Amino acid sequence: MDYVSPFDPRTAEPVPAAPRPERLEGRRVVLLDIRKARGAQFLDRIAVRLAAAGAQTFRLDKETFSKPASREVIDRVPLHGDLVVEALAD
Amino acid sequence: MDGPAPPFSLPRIDTEAEAGLQEFLHDGPVVLVFAHADCPTTLLALRRLAPAAGERIVVVAQETVPDAARLARRAGVTGPVLADVAPHQVSQLYQVRTVPTAVRVEPDGSVAGVVEGWDRLALEPLVGVSLPDEPPAQKPGCGSRTVELEYRGGLDEPEDMFERGFSDGLPVVPPTRDRVEAMLGGRDPSGSLGTVPPVHGEATLERVAACAVLAGCRPDYFPLVLAAVEAVLEPSFNAHGIGVTTQPAAPVVIVNGLARDRVGLNSGMGALGPGFRANATIGRALRLVLSLTGGAAPGGLDRSTLGHPGKVGLCIAENEEASPWPPFHAELGFPADSSTVTVVACDAPLSVSDHRSRTPEELALVLARAAEATWSPFWWPMDDYSLFVVCPEHADLFGEAGWDRRRLAQFLFDTAVRPVAELRHGETTPQVWTAPDEGTVHKWTSPERILIVCAGGDAGRYSAVFGPCDGMQTRPVTREVQWTT
Repeated sequence: MDYVSPFDPRTAEPVPAAPRPERLEGRRVVLLDIRKARGAQFLDRIAVRLAAAGAQTFRLDKETFSKPASREVIDRVPLHGDLVVEALAD
Repeated sequence: MDGPAPPFSLPRIDTEAEAGLQEFLHDGPVVLVFAHADCPTTLLALRRLAPAAGERIVVVAQETVPDAARLARRAGVTGPVLADVAPHQVSQLYQVRTVPTAVRVEPDGSVAGVVEGWDRLALEPLVGVSLPDEPPAQKPGCGSRTVELEYRGGLDEPEDMFERGFSDGLPVVPPTRDRVEAMLGGRDPSGSLGTVPPVHGEATLERVAACAVLAGCRPDYFPLVLAAVEAVLEPSFNAHGIGVTTQPAAPVVIVNGLARDRVGLNSGMGALGPGFRANATIGRALRLVLSLTGGAAPGGLDRSTLGHPGKVGLCIAENEEASPWPPFHAELGFPADSSTVTVVACDAPLSVSDHRSRTPEELALVLARAAEATWSPFWWPMDDYSLFVVCPEHADLFGEAGWDRRRLAQFLFDTAVRPVAELRHGETTPQVWTAPDEGTVHKWTSPERILIVCAGGDAGRYSAVFGPCDGMQTRPVTREVQWTT
């Protein structure tokens, strides 16, 4: 039997994750705060550890945790970093 | 099929005596109409064919003799009706896949033509009569019971739907091309309402129609489903946040205007469900668009910790007739004779019983105290929308005292206020921690955040408040229902 699918086939394949970096020394890392409660504290701790590993960090904020990041925020990520750490939820 | 019509003999419902095909061919050609009682198209076809065709048609019902007799009575068939009881050997012999199927047999025993489903222009020459020129001119048929038997032996269609992921956990109506086409009602299947977050699947009209079929909607519900999907895709509704949050968030669909009666929505007893097809399936269709086309499936990208039963689908109709207030949509500025769909993102409802209040102030205090517990008891203020569903007896108390919605909302806002010192527990807001000790804070940031509709049965004093999806920055969205294609 032939059925009409409710799915959009373009969304069937998830985008594969990028490979993990082999080392952090000399890498630029964007720390993305989505503005969930205590996300900033988490990123503060991560920043200390990344600095100890020889990485440079740059902080960016989303406008609000409840909506996707704006194009402007997304476009700024590659300007400031090769890698991203996002503090997702409280 | 063509060639010679297979001979058969089946019991008549009037005499229970066996009747053979040959005895119906003495006076000329005859049209066998294969039918069963669970098919609305079959009922429609028989009701229109029977008065015009009389003895020219012989109904072959895939039923027991008593059930076939009941079908004949419901459809007004006075001509011959035969009972092709399970396993429906005559239907299998005639390779019937759909009911109704009309097979014309000539006096020499040859098959001269076959029509599946209801198709007035094809049936007129087949039967040789003029049929009433009333809509619909065409309607797809339903699965023959012989097809169902095949599924029992091998592929099971409802199980197949689960296998494909075409479900919200409950069984669905398979979205066959015929059913989806009927749902579309002539609309362009490739038309688009936009993309549905979080995976941004495109909501083509065909996919939305497939979801409406899966949900169990009748085609006349489809304009309401379309309006609801359009509304949730309005950016201010924030379907992305609502779809993926850990909150128990779900859209509540509120219908106003003539559409309620037109499609048979319940606004009275049991207004929040269950029990009424239009309410249950319109809300479910919207949720299927969000969870299947949009990919916000529970446990997948829908990260809701608990969810709530209303996430299966929740469509309510305002009881405008019992309400002392103008219809909800009229207060938003829509013409009172228009039909609208409003979507509000809410948490689970909290029922509020009050059979003792005799003044509007008393009753509003009860509602306010209940609402204070929503979201989280110490989280003040909330900045998203709360929905009060006020039952008719409660609404009457406000109406008789001259309280309109605005006054009730203002009273709820003014009453739900506390000293911040009482609120410094557990999950509370930065405002509560930073305000001076003697300061106070309201439960909502504004009376505008309070929505009020009237629904429910006319006896019993139970209202409900749906807490907000706080922090989601979601806004209610209203769309007028467009009936034309």
